[in-house]
Amino acid sequence: LTAGDKIFHFGACRVFLSTTEIRAGFTAIKANIQSRDPIRTLSILSHPHSLHKVKSSDRCCITHQLFTFYVDKVFKHCRTEDPFVNRKISSIANSFLSVRRKLGQCREQNNCVCGEESTEKFKQILANYEGLNVTSAAMKSLGELDILLDWM
Amino acid sequence: EYEREHANGSWIPISECSPTTATVCNVTEDISASVAYKLRVRAELGATRSQWGTMKGFFNRAMTSLTPPLLRVLADGHHLLVELADMGPSFQFRVLYWRKGQESRVQQKVTKEVSSVLHLGTMEAGAEYCVKAQTHVEAISRSSSFSPTQCVRAQG
Repeated sequence: LTAGDKIFHFGACRVFLSTTEIRAGFTAIKANIQSRDPIRTLSILSHPHSLHKVKSSDRCCITHQLFTFYVDKVFKHCRTEDPFVNRKISSIANSFLSVRRKLGQCREQNNCVCGEESTEKFKQILANYEGLNVTSAAMKSLGELDILLDWM
Repeated sequence: EYEREHANGSWIPISECSPTTATVCNVTEDISASVAYKLRVRAELGATRSQWGTMKGFFNRAMTSLTPPLLRVLADGHHLLVELADMGPSFQFRVLYWRKGQESRVQQKVTKEVSSVLHLGTMEAGAEYCVKAQTHVEAISRSSSFSPTQCVRAQG
């Protein structure tokens, strides 16, 4: 087992996830992606508050929302001229699809509800995202993947 | 699957095999998620191209059937050892061993490490011990069937 293959606890949800491939794929393109993000003073995920402020009971719901955010809004706007980078983004996107499916099932089974704070936090993330032009926002969000993985 | 559902059915070229003259291409890293993949290939001769040949159905690594490990059981004096063939970084091995006639007292070792011989335990002089093993891939939560059982006899 590597560090990324384990049972993750998101509030009431206990989900076995293999994030090793996601992290490996991201590490391979992190420098490339982050070099495309000129706005270093802004964060999508951590502004104004870190994800670490989210209550444990809300983790199940907001994690599913975040994976949905990446699947629905981020990856499709991250196409580059580099075939290698595109392949890694595809691998990450498909892994997110698989993980989101598991999170969705877990959220339903455990009836995870989004508390007020996490709802507000997710709204802030969307506002941060929509505050930039879509390609910049998508690249910045992709470049912050390690923030999400570390928080998980 | 992501591309089918969220990126207008776009295809991702695999640069190592586009183009290639080989008839084999390792796509392991490109199908590293537990989702449904489609693969396609076409022939090229100069500027002429064939139609795409696309696999029927989908491939999902979670449906992979794992093959049992290749192993060799050794008796080194009164030490019971096993050699396992390397099957790549994702594989773990579950090794079961017991003294012949004491099938109810099976012992187990799980290892990822295959570069060296695995020491299972010490044997009683003249006794016969049996071993079998299976592979396991955590990322897809699947295990193989067990290998055939191999038995060896301790010296003495």
